[in-house]
Amino acid sequence: MKKIVLLSLIFFTLITGGCKKALDINSTRVVNEANSWNNLEDSRAKLLGVYGLTRAALADNNGHWIYGDVRMGNFESPLRQDLKAIIKNDLKAEYEVVKDLSNWTRFYRIVNAANIFLERIHEVKEKDPRYTENNMNVDVAQIRFLRAFAYFYMVRIWGDVPFITSSRDGSFENVKRSDHNAILEFVQAEMLAAAEVLPYRFSMNDIQQPGQYYNESDSRWNGTLVRKLSAYGVLAQVAAWQGKYADVTVYTKKVLDEFPRAAMGYSTTDYLTNRRGIFFDKNNNQLFAFGFIFGHQDATFVGNIESLTLAEPIVNKNLPDIFVPKDSILSIFKEPNDGRFNIDSTGVTHSQLYFTNFLGKYPIFSKIKCMQDGSSDPTFRIFSSAILFTRLEDIALLRAEALAVLGEKQGAIEVLNVVRSFRYNVDNAGAVIGSYVPYSSERSGSLINAIFNERNKEFMGEGYRWFDLVRYNKIVQRDPKFTELINTGGIYWPVAQALIDQNPELVQNSYWK
Amino acid sequence: MRFIANITFLGLLCSSTCSFGNAARSACNSDVSSFKMSFQKQTDSTEEDSAKLKVDTTRFQPKSKRTVFSALESKGDNVDPKKLAIFPAFTLQQYLKGEAAGLYVQESSGEPGTVQNMFIRGTSQPLVSPREQFATQPLVVLDGIPLVGEHPFAYDIQQYKFDRIGPATNSLSNINMDNIESVQILRDLGSTSIYGPKGANGVIVLTSKRNSTVRKINFESYIGVATPSPVTTVNGKFENTFRRQFYDKYTANGSYSDIDTYPLYLSDSLNNDFYGPADWNDLYYKNALSYSVNAGISGGSERANFRFGVGTTTSGGVGDGTGADRYTTRFQINMRPTDWMSFTAIINANRVDRQRNRNVRDRLSQVNYIPDLSSPIAPNSAKYGNYLNQFDNGFDNNRSNIVEGLVKVGVDLGGFKFNSVFGVDNNEGYRDIFYPRTLLQTTNYASNYYGFSRRVMFDNTATYDLKLNDVHSFNFAVGSSFQYDTYKYNYAYAYKGANDFVKLNLLESDPNKGSYLEPFVFKRELVWKFLDKTRNNMISFTGKASYNYKEVYTFSAMLRADASSNQQPTNRWFYSPIFSANWDMKKDFLDKNDFISDLNLRASFGRMGRAEAFDNYAQGPQYTAFIGFTGNLIAPGYNGFGTLTRPYSAGAVPYGLEWAYQDQLNVGVDFAFLKNRIRASVDVYSKEDKNQLLGVPGAAEYGYNTIIKNGMSIANSGIDAAISADILPSTNKVSWTSSLNLNFNKNKLKALPGGLSELVIGDRLLKVGESVDSYWLLTNQGIFNTDAEVPVAANGEKMSYNAITLKAGDPRWKDLNGDNVISNKDKTLMGHALPVVSGGFNNDFGYKNWTLSVNMYFNLGRDLMNQEMANRFDFVNREGLNNINSVREVTYWEKRGDYSKYPLYNPWSSSAPYQVNQDLFLEDASFLKLRTLSLGYDLTQMMKKKMPKLERFYVYASVHNLFTLTKYTGQDPELVNYTGYDTGYGMQIPRTYMLGVKMDF
Repeated sequence: MKKIVLLSLIFFTLITGGCKKALDINSTRVVNEANSWNNLEDSRAKLLGVYGLTRAALADNNGHWIYGDVRMGNFESPLRQDLKAIIKNDLKAEYEVVKDLSNWTRFYRIVNAANIFLERIHEVKEKDPRYTENNMNVDVAQIRFLRAFAYFYMVRIWGDVPFITSSRDGSFENVKRSDHNAILEFVQAEMLAAAEVLPYRFSMNDIQQPGQYYNESDSRWNGTLVRKLSAYGVLAQVAAWQGKYADVTVYTKKVLDEFPRAAMGYSTTDYLTNRRGIFFDKNNNQLFAFGFIFGHQDATFVGNIESLTLAEPIVNKNLPDIFVPKDSILSIFKEPNDGRFNIDSTGVTHSQLYFTNFLGKYPIFSKIKCMQDGSSDPTFRIFSSAILFTRLEDIALLRAEALAVLGEKQGAIEVLNVVRSFRYNVDNAGAVIGSYVPYSSERSGSLINAIFNERNKEFMGEGYRWFDLVRYNKIVQRDPKFTELINTGGIYWPVAQALIDQNPELVQNSYWK
Repeated sequence: MRFIANITFLGLLCSSTCSFGNAARSACNSDVSSFKMSFQKQTDSTEEDSAKLKVDTTRFQPKSKRTVFSALESKGDNVDPKKLAIFPAFTLQQYLKGEAAGLYVQESSGEPGTVQNMFIRGTSQPLVSPREQFATQPLVVLDGIPLVGEHPFAYDIQQYKFDRIGPATNSLSNINMDNIESVQILRDLGSTSIYGPKGANGVIVLTSKRNSTVRKINFESYIGVATPSPVTTVNGKFENTFRRQFYDKYTANGSYSDIDTYPLYLSDSLNNDFYGPADWNDLYYKNALSYSVNAGISGGSERANFRFGVGTTTSGGVGDGTGADRYTTRFQINMRPTDWMSFTAIINANRVDRQRNRNVRDRLSQVNYIPDLSSPIAPNSAKYGNYLNQFDNGFDNNRSNIVEGLVKVGVDLGGFKFNSVFGVDNNEGYRDIFYPRTLLQTTNYASNYYGFSRRVMFDNTATYDLKLNDVHSFNFAVGSSFQYDTYKYNYAYAYKGANDFVKLNLLESDPNKGSYLEPFVFKRELVWKFLDKTRNNMISFTGKASYNYKEVYTFSAMLRADASSNQQPTNRWFYSPIFSANWDMKKDFLDKNDFISDLNLRASFGRMGRAEAFDNYAQGPQYTAFIGFTGNLIAPGYNGFGTLTRPYSAGAVPYGLEWAYQDQLNVGVDFAFLKNRIRASVDVYSKEDKNQLLGVPGAAEYGYNTIIKNGMSIANSGIDAAISADILPSTNKVSWTSSLNLNFNKNKLKALPGGLSELVIGDRLLKVGESVDSYWLLTNQGIFNTDAEVPVAANGEKMSYNAITLKAGDPRWKDLNGDNVISNKDKTLMGHALPVVSGGFNNDFGYKNWTLSVNMYFNLGRDLMNQEMANRFDFVNREGLNNINSVREVTYWEKRGDYSKYPLYNPWSSSAPYQVNQDLFLEDASFLKLRTLSLGYDLTQMMKKKMPKLERFYVYASVHNLFTLTKYTGQDPELVNYTGYDTGYGMQIPRTYMLGVKMDF
């Protein structure tokens, strides 16, 4: 009897000893700080995390295209009331998508993740000898670029935004909105600094990134990361948005002079609209892009232009969410010999790579259609097109725009013609011919109009239109309504009420008060 | 501790005196027949537990089997399983609905075997998602095993969170009431304290029937038919006429704008599919069979005995071919190798198969892909039948194995007793799906799920009795408890298989091939795989001392130390005291009083920790792999590499999170008058769940949706009352017992983290001083018929909704703050999603061998949002989106609700005139149901002549769910989940006609 009592008491003590062990469980669902900044794999996960967050921020609710193409753009929506409101610039309408797109939280994820990375990456450097100085420098440059990019994107949408460059972990104080001009100065400086450090390509023994980047070959990295010219390309956009056209010429020159080093080229119209063309997968021609790579199971049902624009007969969906009405198409694509789309006065279409079912009630905008692995199977609406933020044609046309604004007309026409040479080169049957139709003011109107019309045609469905409209109307102040929008801050989105509710330092954009 | 308790219980049972262990035990030991009982009790931990607390805190135990409080408790704390077993329930929740004061059961669908919710004394959290639902469920203890629930962590990968992935079978489908000896609903801390933090939401204790030492056989069976209630079906014409009103009123030429289209399926009135007969209901609603057969055998000797039971139950749903089957087996063995030691082993194994509904919404949320939804399923039986036939080419198998095992060793060394329990509850589920191409726009789909919830527990208790003399007696107990919970699932799904004949996601099995283990029937890139696991360990130590004075006063004090792996290391342990006391006034000074046959006052107060259910809170600042976005939660990585980022969407987890805890005060009185003819038990409680975690919206400029903080405090206070009266006592030829149980509960938010006074979470406002189950709504006051009616403010601006100027056809919402802008500031908190008063009213009549029972169930002060009607009127927005909310089921063709109640607003207006969050859609959903009417005849006496061994032979016929009285205009007001938004997805709870028999011999 006594034995039993004794034994049970011993048993008790043994179990008690195991307590601490039983209670310390390393979660298999999250990683805590102690296990976070120790080795090369950690830095890769954190680096690509910032990319992933950027992709998520742009793809969320198809925001990149709704901001850029849907708002007061060429598109109409047959059924979606939320998109109709955005098309009308009715940005306080009571729709979930409108509210979500007014919320900048997802961009601050990029900023916060970048800030943490910049503060903590030295720990990996100290702990893991495999993590080289160069690797760290290149990583840091990318992170600084992505943080600047997030700010650039936000400033374009909301104007003044809170400016935060440290993680302030654990003490998240509310911050006022800062002047957007100051932020853009920061953006420009950061991107420039990054551009100087970044290589032309990864894992190609670039002098600024020798050896295999994270032990993967160039085919793994092609087009997926920020490269030197990506930085200069985005810098050109930043400078153009600020109206610093002299800077635009500097940055664009850098890209246009050096793009062969980055294994890039201009896209033919066919490559532009091919299911396996520039938008598909990852490739070097994507100057700055976020891929949804089919082979990596990244393909998605939403977060791409296709989910908005495609419908019967391209995919098995009854009506598209958005479409370009026939009248708009006719007024935009007026020039003959355009490989993207052209129609003559008798109503005969000679080329229609951009649109399908033009004669139907809803022409389908089918320029971008990366379905599954680039197949033509209409039965499954999963898409793998990258969010392409900028490409060579954008840089060329920005240069043309800058030169035109600065009065270097001839230079502008030259660059414009480079782009035109790839587009206005089809015959009446839509077949590519050896020659092209260069710019002339009789055919295409004034130079600045021609450049912006070209942009409208070239980048339709790529999230550019709204920002181009703003720049255009800043240059050519002919539309009093739009000028009024610019002057009153109506070009910005309202700040989501949810944000103002939780941060008393915030003030709504005056136009949306 | 348990040991002593059960001994005490025994003592109570076998002697007429009520006291602590020693006396009772000796009494028992002196009597062989009672020792059998003692043995049984001793090996049945649940009953011990409950018995102990009865003795220690309330001393509520009957002095003999027939005294007042055993009868009383059946309406209050205790529920009579014999009566419950009459109901053809499949789940525990169904058995207990309306049967016990303070326990509120939600049966949000009549689909058999689906998840249902229980709340004891209100909710301690705002119920917005399955997380809170999980965190507020009471603990169910079966024969001493605290049953494990299904952890909601799997929802994290689900785009659409209607049902959890996997079989989503109610894990409390494993209870066969015919096997159950007693059911107790424990509500106050005095009685729940021994179950620790997991019992903070209340405890339901189930104890199986005891073994017998003589051979005994029991047999129970019923068969019943469930019949659907008639519905009014409509076709395209109805919908067309309904919509035309809006076009006539708000459009010039029948189309709102040039690019607008009228839905194809309504445009052609000659289309027989939509404009023909609406007879889909013939295929959808059908009579369903429910039956059950259950048998058990028990026998053995005093030293060793056993009980073995098997059973099967089928529950048919009347809608959509749903149903559930259960196969049960249970084995219990007791042994007493020596006088001072006992041994018990129990195995309870259940297999549950479920035939699920074929809702489009549920299927698409499983498939995670939205096909073109522009046309709904046609209301025509030929078309609908065609659609249903497609399911025959696929499968949707849902299986659950729910197994509990228990081993217990008891040692009795006189004053010192030791009890050790080892238990396992393993609840595993499988779901295998194949949907053929014809169901999803030529894309087929396969999915496999395997998951389990497992709890391994090890409890030890040691007790010591000290009886100084007849006046003073003491009891001391120490205990330890270890619980290891593991939740895990493996899940994969795939699209676009090669054809509809190979229905499995086959993998390459040749290890020499490069594509080894890669799928080859389905495209590799279109196969998604998930593995997830979470664990939670909990360790508790307890100490308790009780004192009894002359059996009149009892005091008890308990001290607990609880540690959970889900709490941060710096705050891992939580220490809490619980006190309880009891005063038997009848014994003290009313001994001679004839009018008062019993009067007992008891009170308990104390504190109990509430451990978190998710392990991320223990980790402090952390990183997750989540980089998804709206519509794509499962982004696997970037460029094929996994990523780690802060938990931006889940919320920032800081260091220093503390335990949440509950403080509860309970004062109860039990009394009986007129020789126990009137019995009542009334408890008044005040319960406050303090310092709870809440994701406070904030740090948006640091990327977070919320910051997790301590500090939410929610109080529930109210009254549980059970009153029972023998209006005609059973000694009469005609007897009539009437009993009422009800709970009145008032819920109040007492504090928010960081001293905030209010907080908006989604559509809900949490406001200190208001209840957390209230809706936050605009007040609707009609319609602006013309633009001129829209009020103009002093600054010349017209009234607007947010920044949208209101026009003719927009709703007239009440501008509470008078700023001429309708916004969230004009919303008020209204109504309650959980009832203010709920309960049951039961009447039992007896005449000779006949018995007639009438059971009613009621909810008062409960309100619902009629989302289904809001959706109907908001057709413009819902059809435009082609998302999961635009799904229309075949029940779309059922006329529900009162269309005349709602003004004809301009549905195209961007002010969202038919948004659900306005009082236009708020309805009083109080109801009274006649839940059971049963007529039984006891044949025992008659049959005994032929079968002398017969103990009981009872036959009965019953009808369930006879009628519902309610003002609610939608479906049955019960068919709504904890959020209170009636989406119309609840399937009818059918009326069931039954015949049954129960035999013991």
